[in-house]
Amino acid sequence: MGRMPRTTRTRITRRCAHAAAAVAALALVVTGCGETSSGGSGEKGDKGMAIAFDIGGKGDQSFNDAAYAGLERARKEFGYQGNAVEPKDGESDADKVQRLKQLAKQGYDPVVGIGFIYANATKEAAEAYPDTTFGIVDDSTVKAKNVAPLVFNEEQGSYLAGVAAAKASKSKTVGFVGGVDVPLIHKFEAGFAQGVKDTDPKIKVITQYLTETAEEGGFSSPDKGKAAAEAQIEKGADVIYQAAGLSGQGVVEAAAKEKKWAIGVDSDQYKQKALSKYKDYILTSATKDVGGAVFALAESVERGKPLSGEQRFSLKEGGVGVTESNPEFGKVPGLKAAVDRAKKDIVDGKIEVATAP
Amino acid sequence: MSTAPALDKRPAAASAPGRRRVTLPVLLLIIAGVLALTSLVRIVTGADGITNVSQMSTALKLAVPIGMAGLGGLWAERSGVINIGLEGMLILGTWFGAWAGYQWGPWIGVLAGIAGGALGGLLHAIVTVTFNVNHIVSGVAINILALGVTRYVSAFAFEGVPQGTSKQSPPVESLGQFSVPVLSDGLETINDKGWFLASDIAGLLGGLVTNMSPLTLLALALVPASWWILWRTSFGLRLRSCGENPTAAESLGVNVYKYKYLAVIISGGLAGLGGAFLSIVANPFYLEGQTGGRGYIGLAAMIFGNWMPGGLALGAGLFGYTDSLKLRGGTENVHALLLLIAILVLIGAIWLVLRKKYVGAVIAVAVSALVFAWYATTKEVPTQVVTATPYVVTLLVLSLSAQRLRMPRANGKPYRRG
Repeated sequence: MGRMPRTTRTRITRRCAHAAAAVAALALVVTGCGETSSGGSGEKGDKGMAIAFDIGGKGDQSFNDAAYAGLERARKEFGYQGNAVEPKDGESDADKVQRLKQLAKQGYDPVVGIGFIYANATKEAAEAYPDTTFGIVDDSTVKAKNVAPLVFNEEQGSYLAGVAAAKASKSKTVGFVGGVDVPLIHKFEAGFAQGVKDTDPKIKVITQYLTETAEEGGFSSPDKGKAAAEAQIEKGADVIYQAAGLSGQGVVEAAAKEKKWAIGVDSDQYKQKALSKYKDYILTSATKDVGGAVFALAESVERGKPLSGEQRFSLKEGGVGVTESNPEFGKVPGLKAAVDRAKKDIVDGKIEVATAP
Repeated sequence: MSTAPALDKRPAAASAPGRRRVTLPVLLLIIAGVLALTSLVRIVTGADGITNVSQMSTALKLAVPIGMAGLGGLWAERSGVINIGLEGMLILGTWFGAWAGYQWGPWIGVLAGIAGGALGGLLHAIVTVTFNVNHIVSGVAINILALGVTRYVSAFAFEGVPQGTSKQSPPVESLGQFSVPVLSDGLETINDKGWFLASDIAGLLGGLVTNMSPLTLLALALVPASWWILWRTSFGLRLRSCGENPTAAESLGVNVYKYKYLAVIISGGLAGLGGAFLSIVANPFYLEGQTGGRGYIGLAAMIFGNWMPGGLALGAGLFGYTDSLKLRGGTENVHALLLLIAILVLIGAIWLVLRKKYVGAVIAVAVSALVFAWYATTKEVPTQVVTATPYVVTLLVLSLSAQRLRMPRANGKPYRRG
């Protein structure tokens, strides 16, 4: 320790302590370090697909895991190793640009950013590496020849979830729990509410968002999801649809405890091992085939005809949908028929699903 | 002796209890008054959600981890060590709690959570007390380290285990929960009646006796226990003396290093308990990112409470309550609370007039009128306002009572044995 005059040092320390304590306490700085799960080696220039995960990373049992499944499938079919990289918590856009550029430089093709947070980074990296194909999931703002935005009509799947909820509800009240109050999640809410209302206008939809920003843990706080679901059940809801990432586990738990229905999201949550205890109460899940979309991109690159421009995955292509793996799904009177009818109407264009509530 | 105390230029009165102190009866009277007002507002607005039993029990559940982190901060800072590392110790608590919990049962999990947090505390103590590293630097380092280490070891400990993934532990068995038999139902009945005051008090107490986890009870008991230990035992006096003036304490034969070490380890243990509560009671599993900054909020609650256990509990309760208001569809409930705020500020204005502070009174009346206008012209409040409420209150408390807030004098200063 340097030999500063003692009084100065203590004064500085005290001031630092004051300031730092207040700042740190209120700013909710979440710092952390990431890790890289690097893939194996391959010949330069033909390393196959690389994916860069969204917050949550591998093991989120949802979005990122679905993308990883797409990579695994590509590995198997095309015999390359590929790569999957985790993000750091609280990283900046510059870190993301760096990551995508690094992957492109190492010879991975295509390079896919999982999640709309990669939008700006994809744009920049695509300019720097015009010969590499870039994919970006859940964002359609990037327009470049070598970029393929992979977007989904989540509202259509959510609409079907709404139809199912309306058919299964006896109390005429259903709930929606969203993880974070952002436009992407509004799509789920809008579709769900419309599906419910179109099926039975008398049913009340209670909506609850857990947090305003993802940093507050809206997608990773099952206890908050549980509290929100408990309140909705108290208000009479007997079917709750959740689009809340890992927080959704709390919603499912609360619903199962009260023997009410929960509706899963993104992947078939009926089959998820972490939720196996409550699976009998998971009526259905509104799925989003991120894995299929990612694989489609890899396939197009492999065939030498890389996809370019917006790729929309809707009900028609099976990009979104609802699952029927819970045997109870078929047992609710009129449910399956109503869902099938709605599905057909959406595909035929008879029903337009709103994307904002 | 190398570290003589810095000359304190402030008059001695600042530390002596020369100013008016709020005595217990006065405090109880204030609480009763606020409750009565709340009740009145509830009846006027019809927002029954403000004081219902499940609202209170959810609030309590959300407040426990914050309160435990805050209490941990209190112990460390009373001994003169700033503990920004609470978030990291909370994370260690969640991880160890779930890791031991799913294998050997929830109570072992609680002990492991405490031990995990204490381990973080020990590290902080070694770095700050023995090596005299800046407390903030060490704390931030511990937060980063805890996050990285738990993330790394989760891949070995939880992946491949049934129902576990690289980010989530397998489920931990429940500690069970209890409702005090007759009392719980009785209070809920009174709460449902919607009577003036009685129903609100029933709701508040009902939250304390309905579906409570034994760990919640333990956490609640730790608040008065900490107060008793720190302010009523010679051990506590010595510990606090290390935070006020370690050199003087040393000259009286107190082993300052020992007390600082103990305080910081206990601090980590308390945060670890908060973490174990998160991963065993609030959720039945460890999940990456589960703490969501609650350690920092705990620190804010401690500052809010002026480094005293009672105030800290109040702060944690406030954070928990607003969180629960929001999660339980609080926009109409918070709207009702606007009326309460308007009335409270008006009362403040009257008090200022009585004390002949006219400028302040005018400002208060204007604020009250504005809040009332807001209440009268809208039907609900944007959720963002609900989220921001506890932070705004903390800022208000910090700015309005900055003169009165007093942290331990030697808090955050390096100390070398003479």
